[in-house]
Amino acid sequence: MTTITERISDLREKVLSTKPSVCTERAKFYTQIYQENEDKPVIIKRALALEKTLKEMTIYIENGGLIVGNQSSQHRAAPIFPEYAVDWLPREMDELDKRPGDAFLITEEHKKEVLEIAKWWKGKVLWDRGRALMSEELRDLQDSDIIKATGNLTSGDAHIAVDFNKMLSLGLSGYLQEIKHYHQRVKRFEQEGVKKDHFYTALTISIKAFRTFIRRYRKLALSISENEVNKKRKKELLLIADNCEIIAEKPPQNFYQALQLVYFVQLVLQIESNGHSVSLGRMDQYLFPFYQNDKIKGNVSENFASELLENMWIKLISINKIRPWSHTRFSAGGPLYQNVTIGGQTTDGLDAVNDLSFLILDSVGKMKLTQPNLSVRFHKNINNNFLLECIRVIEKGFGMPSFNNDEIVIPGLIKIGVEPEDAYNYSAIGCIEIAVPGKWGYRCTGMSFLNIMRVLLASLYNGLDKQSGKVFKKGIGNFSEFNSFSDLFKAWQHQIKYYTRKTVEIDTAVDTALEENVPDILCSAFVDSCISRGKTIKEGGSKYDYISGLQVGIANLGNSLAAIKKLVFEEKKLTKKQLLTALENNFEGKEGEKIRQLLLNFAPKYGNDDDYVDILLKDAYMEFINELENYHTTRYNRGPIGCKYFAGTSSISANVPSGAVVPATPDGRKAYTPVAEGSSPSSGTDILGPTAVFKSVSKLPTEKIMGGVLLNQKLSPATIQKDSDKQKLISIIRTFFEDLKGWHVQYNIVSKETLLAAKKNPEKYRDLIVRVAGYSAFFTTLSPDTQDDIIARTEHSLNY
Amino acid sequence: MIFNIQRFSTHDGDGIRTVIFYKGCPLRCLWCSNPESQSFDYSVMYDKSRCKNFGDCIKADNKTITRIKNNGIQINRELIKKPEKLKNVCASKALTISGESKSVDELLAEIEKDTPFYQNGGGVTLSGGEPLSHGEELITLLQKLKERNINVNIETSLYVNWRNVDKCIGLVNTFLVDLKHTDKDKFKSFTQGDAGLVMDNLIKLTDSETHVIVRIPVIPGFNFSENEMKQIIEFVTSLKNVNEIHFLPYHTYGVEKYKMLGLNYTFGNKKQIQDSELLPFIQYAQSKGLKTKIGG
Repeated sequence: MTTITERISDLREKVLSTKPSVCTERAKFYTQIYQENEDKPVIIKRALALEKTLKEMTIYIENGGLIVGNQSSQHRAAPIFPEYAVDWLPREMDELDKRPGDAFLITEEHKKEVLEIAKWWKGKVLWDRGRALMSEELRDLQDSDIIKATGNLTSGDAHIAVDFNKMLSLGLSGYLQEIKHYHQRVKRFEQEGVKKDHFYTALTISIKAFRTFIRRYRKLALSISENEVNKKRKKELLLIADNCEIIAEKPPQNFYQALQLVYFVQLVLQIESNGHSVSLGRMDQYLFPFYQNDKIKGNVSENFASELLENMWIKLISINKIRPWSHTRFSAGGPLYQNVTIGGQTTDGLDAVNDLSFLILDSVGKMKLTQPNLSVRFHKNINNNFLLECIRVIEKGFGMPSFNNDEIVIPGLIKIGVEPEDAYNYSAIGCIEIAVPGKWGYRCTGMSFLNIMRVLLASLYNGLDKQSGKVFKKGIGNFSEFNSFSDLFKAWQHQIKYYTRKTVEIDTAVDTALEENVPDILCSAFVDSCISRGKTIKEGGSKYDYISGLQVGIANLGNSLAAIKKLVFEEKKLTKKQLLTALENNFEGKEGEKIRQLLLNFAPKYGNDDDYVDILLKDAYMEFINELENYHTTRYNRGPIGCKYFAGTSSISANVPSGAVVPATPDGRKAYTPVAEGSSPSSGTDILGPTAVFKSVSKLPTEKIMGGVLLNQKLSPATIQKDSDKQKLISIIRTFFEDLKGWHVQYNIVSKETLLAAKKNPEKYRDLIVRVAGYSAFFTTLSPDTQDDIIARTEHSLNY
Repeated sequence: MIFNIQRFSTHDGDGIRTVIFYKGCPLRCLWCSNPESQSFDYSVMYDKSRCKNFGDCIKADNKTITRIKNNGIQINRELIKKPEKLKNVCASKALTISGESKSVDELLAEIEKDTPFYQNGGGVTLSGGEPLSHGEELITLLQKLKERNINVNIETSLYVNWRNVDKCIGLVNTFLVDLKHTDKDKFKSFTQGDAGLVMDNLIKLTDSETHVIVRIPVIPGFNFSENEMKQIIEFVTSLKNVNEIHFLPYHTYGVEKYKMLGLNYTFGNKKQIQDSELLPFIQYAQSKGLKTKIGG
């Protein structure tokens, strides 16, 4: 392992010590262009607005920085994307710096500007449009918190990785040529042709603006270098200028240039669009030829390559986003989920681990930052030394890397219609979800969030949702009249079928609004086959299109059904009335508490390898999955392969706010406390250790949950100190993936004591990072609720 | 009768193991960290921190269980005739009954749940209590495990009739033998057993060419001195076919359980032993050609 240079250490410290703030530049440019061009098609407006922003926004180069490019006028200042949603900002701006988690500074001057901007956008933004496209019923479902799609409507789409292979081999001029080729052939006498004409025009404007943006850094580097007295730094600045000159035009010629271009692409995608989880794909694969070539020629040392990568990670974390509090709670810690995937297999099925995989892993481990979100693709022939290195990085306790499993993902992708060559090239997107980089549309997961415990409760009350007082779908009876467990299961089938359909209806409205209001231009340019089809991704430009929503409260569903089946219908330890009364009273009083204890202690719990509950959960979940298979996305018959939905559980930190709107549940969970996260067991209920958890999780219908089967495990640091213990951890991970075909696992290596101390003295633990769900966050930036939830999760011990 | 099944154990033999804890042990060492393992019968355990005063235990047996001023209960354990009847009365599991009768097939089913994880030398470890005090049922289990090719370790004090040991030879992959002391008087004053029987059995066992690892609990005030440890290590060196020795440092994790059983922990306030304090013994054992490990 190389050491951290002073330069990197300074840059890292600077980014960590900078308080997030709000930048209004982008908002002003976009507002001005939209105002001046009201007659133009939206795609042209967006191209012009991006052009103005890239040409005029403040740019800077940090002292000592090797990788250049900034998202806004200041470090960690979040730009505003008024065209998505902005009315929340005037409402929330006086509280931004007081948020319990993810706080932002905003100046009084910026507040005034925001008010001005927000006034003009009233009624014109994506949020308004999306809501208008929904029926009253759908709006009610959203407002009642049973189905949430707020994130997509306020913060856009993304969840995508573009085609970096093509970018690195073609260069930006190559794209312009390709666009020109297709633009010349547009049939303007057809209605479709008119749209395509605008699309190609917008592409041309945007890519040219991108080139201008890169050249602005060339100029800036040159002008700084003129006054630079340090000779070494002067040389570096000149090199930066040269690099920018090349990559503004041509394909990169070496590793440094390639990395700089990748960063620029990553950056402008996040200036163009407000979505998160813009991911970098298989970085160790597409950058390796450059690295190898430089190494052979002696052009780059391992130390310098590592320094560049470390600088890259610091640059990734300097990118920031501000979201409404309603959505922030679903993604605690404010990360952008910029995923980097390493390892996995080549298209020939060989181990793809190379020197660069090790270097990326090592450099991410040295930086210990929340970005990138590092995923390792596991497969049965993966280099064991590499796995051991992975565990050593995990041991540092910032939750990375997480593992995805080729052994289930690749066959799963092929089965749904992905070509084998593409399937072998998949990467993680955001947290744990997967897509084929550069060939897949947005949102392989992360559409609407379905609060499944609300659905289960409605099944008990003849369809009445007690939380909102509304009957969305009249049921087949009340629990008090059910004679057997199968009556309850029928009620669940009846309700979940309805809610499944409604999630798709909401997604359809949202996708329509996104397509019409905020088409991405650059992002479409970099995804196969938008240019040749003359379509944005949302119009059906991508090769593949599979998406998923997120189902929140998986473990609670299984545990609740098992508790009712066993204690009410089989053992008759509880009457139906007793249970209902206890639920309605939130288990208050001695009698209520006793019932809660019975539910907790005398019914099987998911996560303990008990078929009784595990199979029940699977059956109940399958009702959702089977219904989902009836529907298509808005791109159906418009180009992409697939256009189908699958299930997904990578529900980030949504388990906390989702739980906050769920009354008491039959698994003994008290009202408004968090539900279980992802596919992990409910907090504190998995008492047989990690192997039993693995067994339970593997009984889920994994190959139908291609939106991700998220499993968090927490280990205290002492458990993997010795190499022999690390090998034992590797051994169970291997079994989980090779034999049980698990989807994913990630580890929090941190002691409960540390977390408690960090909660108490946040300033002392500023760099403490934990896995919240599918990603890592700074613990001290989390809200107390989320902190408590993390602390409560079972801490497995490998010792005794 | 067993009192616990612990999956994913990583320090009771190679690989990932499931440990079956048998209930009942004739030795009853004073420092024992699993006091519920000593009795061959059910044990009534009461964890006051979980008690919510529901009163169901008193309803179930008001002769032996009484309330202490609305906060917790008092149990007269000697008078409880059928402890198993109290098994499921407490909703919050403050009152629990340690001990469960499991058939050989039930045990097998539990063991086989983790079969996929028993790669790299893992398997099952039969522990206790004293597993070798469990006669024919144990042998049946061992035979079925052998048929299924599951690796078996037995953790034993060897304070049992040699016949019980002899029957297991050939069915067990590794014996993890606890050797507490070689001094007969010392052994006797801290346990209910006899070092002579243990050492005789150990000699016979190692003569049989079975794989044996000797494990020494390092206990302050008992054997935690250079001289005593040397004596023990020398005895181990004299055994045939033993090339590995584990030191198990004294810990106090079990003290709470004495309270739950209504017992006094008579071993007193001794400090836990740190790994670093074992260094001289490790060096001595290694100088005698033994492989060493701390904590198994």
